[in-house]
Amino acid sequence: MSAAARRAALATTGVLVLLAGAEAVGRAGIAGPSWPPLSEVAAHLLDADRRATVVRAASATLASAAEGLLAGVLVAAAAAFTGLLLPPLRPGLDRLAALLHAVPVIALAPLLITTVGREATPTVVAGLGAGFVMFVAFSSGLSLGGRRSTHDDVFDALGANRVRRLLRLQLPASVPTVLDGLTLAAPAAVLGATIGEWFGAPRGLGVLIVSAMQNFQVTLLWSAAACATALSLAAYGLTTALQRAAVRRMA
Amino acid sequence: MAQTTPSPAPTLTVAPPAAVALSGVGKTFELSRGRAVSALEDLDLHVAEGEFVAIVGPSGCGKSTVLRMVAGLERPSTGTVVVEGRSPRELARSHRLGVAFQEHALLPWSSIRGNVALPFHLAGRPVDAARVDELVRLVGLEGFESARPRQLSGGMRQRAAIARALVLRPDVLLLDEPFGALDAVTRRRMNRELARIWSEERITTVLVTHDVEEALFLADRVVVMTGRPGRVRHVHRVDFPRPREAAITRSPEFHEAVDLLTGLLDAEGTA
Ligand SMILES: Nc1ncnc2c1ncn2[C@@H]1O[C@H](COP(=O)(O)OP(=O)(O)OP(=O)(O)O)[C@@H](O)[C@H]1O
Ligand SMILES: [Mg+2]
Repeated sequence: MSAAARRAALATTGVLVLLAGAEAVGRAGIAGPSWPPLSEVAAHLLDADRRATVVRAASATLASAAEGLLAGVLVAAAAAFTGLLLPPLRPGLDRLAALLHAVPVIALAPLLITTVGREATPTVVAGLGAGFVMFVAFSSGLSLGGRRSTHDDVFDALGANRVRRLLRLQLPASVPTVLDGLTLAAPAAVLGATIGEWFGAPRGLGVLIVSAMQNFQVTLLWSAAACATALSLAAYGLTTALQRAAVRRMA
Repeated sequence: MAQTTPSPAPTLTVAPPAAVALSGVGKTFELSRGRAVSALEDLDLHVAEGEFVAIVGPSGCGKSTVLRMVAGLERPSTGTVVVEGRSPRELARSHRLGVAFQEHALLPWSSIRGNVALPFHLAGRPVDAARVDELVRLVGLEGFESARPRQLSGGMRQRAAIARALVLRPDVLLLDEPFGALDAVTRRRMNRELARIWSEERITTVLVTHDVEEALFLADRVVVMTGRPGRVRHVHRVDFPRPREAAITRSPEFHEAVDLLTGLLDAEGTA
């Protein structure tokens, strides 16, 4: 317990030092006018009207990120299960996923805007980011790579068919890995939604960031960025808690 | 004294069909860069219906490989393996096989009851709760039905694995050093429990072990294997009456047999 307390104290100290440093740099103006003191950013968010703007944008981003994450998880699961049922398709699926992941969003954006539209682009970009991570997590969780365990031997000797092996061994065994993937996919979805909003979405943190940048509203820019970071961290924290709970139950 | 042939029964002229028959079995494992290791060569082993056979031999002589072939997890390179008149895979697919390996291989997310009931699920049969409870009781795990494997001691986990192996009343039971990880005292207790369980169920059993005393206490016949490539070196018939009590391990006949088999193993180890 004391070790955990010490770790928490260390982490808190680290964050405080970082925040104090950022504040000092802003006050001294070392990094120029685009680096405001953090207290100014906080003051910006304390104002009810301005805060409402940021919160509205954040909820739009959160909605896109959540939809994208959900879609990414579903498509990734469908792809992994296709690979599970039809092994010949596996290499092709792996390559397709890697290819989609390798194409830079900047290159994909014009294509997305013309196909799915500006409104849906953030969701799709979020889904692409989250989907790739989840595809890898599902594939490795279901042991599509072919690692054999003593559990496989027991299931073979007991005459398990493919469906029963999937339900009683592969699925439960994959839960920790899949949730591990989710802890990476959730922040990736937030990031993807924010970036997706740069390409002319009607609302969201990404839109706020772009317009604040163009109008040189430095504190607004930083407020939006801080909010995106907070969303990302919250997504990570939430999924990590979920993953820990599952590992405690499953292991 | 040791014999290699069953004592002839007066009314029986033909040997009963073997439940497990390995005939001229060889197994070669491919290693990297075209190299291969011959694990077994020309091995013959027949286990009669309802017989308990123990296999002892130096480490790496192919005991586990024999068991894995009988379980259909490995195919022989030469020769044939027939179990209950069928191929091992067919027997496994019809859910007539019980196995317990050195690693207990219990499902960590499932309770002890869930683990013991697993063979019912994999066979697509409704779970016979009374049978599951009976097995849990038989291996002395009452009160731990809802516990997870990680909440049990090593010996308790292995007992749960044995319960899982027995729950469907398999035709053939295969045990690969199920007590390998246990201390001597727990191991002897487990041996007594297994002897008691086995005398109730009388399932054709092949047990792989390093422990000569364990083999003699449990088995009808003890097979001593040679080092790589593995072959049958000696078959020792054990005539202690059943049900066997711990007392037989203190008899001079038992000690004599232990000395004989240990001597054979030592000769193997240095050969
Ligand atoms: N999958 C495999 N690939 C390559 N070689 C193998 C494989 N399985 C077993 N062998 C080899 O076959 C031989 C026999 O192995 P096996 O596991 O049957 O021995 P064992 O008698 O059970 O030994 P131990 O008493 O130490 O468990 C060993 O030399 C081992 O290296
Ligand atoms: Mg072995």
